[in-house]
Amino acid sequence: MTLDPVTLATPFFILAVILEIVLGKLGKARAHYEGRDTLVSLSLGLGSTLAGLLTAGVVFAATLWVYQHRLFTIPMSAWWAWAAIFVLEDLTYYWFHRLSHERRFWWASHVNHHSSQHYNLSTALRQTWTGGLNGSWLLWLPLAFLGFPPPMIAIEKSISLVYQFWIHTEAVRRLPGPLEAVFNTPSHHRVHHARNPRYLDSNYAGILIVWDRMFGTFVAEDEPPRYGIVKNLGDFNIVRAAFHEWASIGQDLWRARSPREAAGYLFGPPGWSPDGSRQTSTALKAAWARRRGGAVPPEPEHAALTPPGLNGKPRT
Amino acid sequence: MTPAFLLQTLASLVAIFLLVALAAWARIARPAPALDADTARALIAEEFPDHALGPVWVAGDGAAAIARSQDEALIVYRAGDGYVARSLPWSKLADGRASGGAVALKLGDVTAPRIRFSLAEGGAWPPPMGEAGR
Repeated sequence: MTLDPVTLATPFFILAVILEIVLGKLGKARAHYEGRDTLVSLSLGLGSTLAGLLTAGVVFAATLWVYQHRLFTIPMSAWWAWAAIFVLEDLTYYWFHRLSHERRFWWASHVNHHSSQHYNLSTALRQTWTGGLNGSWLLWLPLAFLGFPPPMIAIEKSISLVYQFWIHTEAVRRLPGPLEAVFNTPSHHRVHHARNPRYLDSNYAGILIVWDRMFGTFVAEDEPPRYGIVKNLGDFNIVRAAFHEWASIGQDLWRARSPREAAGYLFGPPGWSPDGSRQTSTALKAAWARRRGGAVPPEPEHAALTPPGLNGKPRT
Repeated sequence: MTPAFLLQTLASLVAIFLLVALAAWARIARPAPALDADTARALIAEEFPDHALGPVWVAGDGAAAIARSQDEALIVYRAGDGYVARSLPWSKLADGRASGGAVALKLGDVTAPRIRFSLAEGGAWPPPMGEAGR
């Protein structure tokens, strides 16, 4: 029998969703569910599991190959090894998640998770169908190269996924201060799922919110979050929910007039366009800051690594 | 494909069906009352904060609204218990086809291809320039 925390936790997921709905119905907790939205979320979750099987072999083989060329041999039985992979996997997740929001090619897969206008436990299960195809799993290979055994990496990834389930709720307002300071919590993650301009591209944490504090992407929950994406989906078509950003990318590439434009549409931030006629998160946040008469937020830290004109700021 | 895999997939489908049925039964969606001129204006202003709003035109069933902002039509419409916002050149509204008391309007967007805009009794399409209210 294999130890898969996600499989083990699935009954808990189901019971937790039932509990949240019942508490919402009884008025004991803040919870909103809409039937069609729930259907799309849960179906995307099941589809994600099935789609993941298609690429699981390649991912595992690649991880195993890298592990065979490892620098060190780290024992699975050592407590310090688990402590180390907990921190390193969570750091890896932070950058994976940030990449998944700030570059359109990876956003096209991740957007599924954000396309609900609801924020409840079923939203947590609203997962990508195409994540295995975009190569983001390569980011975890350095852990195998360091010498963490592939099963250990897989278990830690699953632990992170299971942790992130329970924070998708409005039923929990705030945790005690020290927990809010260190861990990703429902409050922090509500901000992450919000489309309020001030909240865009923030709180990428998996388990530890300290990465956002460290890398300047932390935003505390202040005004009520409005959930969803900048341009919410117009219906509950599951195929549209799964593939719409890829279709939009395809349309843009078809219209691209140069390789540079094609690169911008593919690897620029979501909302990038050659003439600046669309709005990126950076532009939306700047407009918000202007409206309130405050300082325009600084450029993202990664902007210096980005080709000119693709840094999320409309070209002038 | 093993029997265990098939069983797990089948069990997942049953669980989805039951959870969706429970969510629908609970009726705990967000309240989404029909829009009127004021609520439509407030919603559009929230969705398009950098636009100066002109007249607002509310659908007969209160499920959608259009505001004019210079040469743009700013559109909001209900999807489930939430709202979706898009904009079109005002001139594109004339492409909408009215039938059965509603207008089918193509938005030209993969994520929101079209809306059905219910016409108020005696309502004309496209919205007359400068007309306000329902």
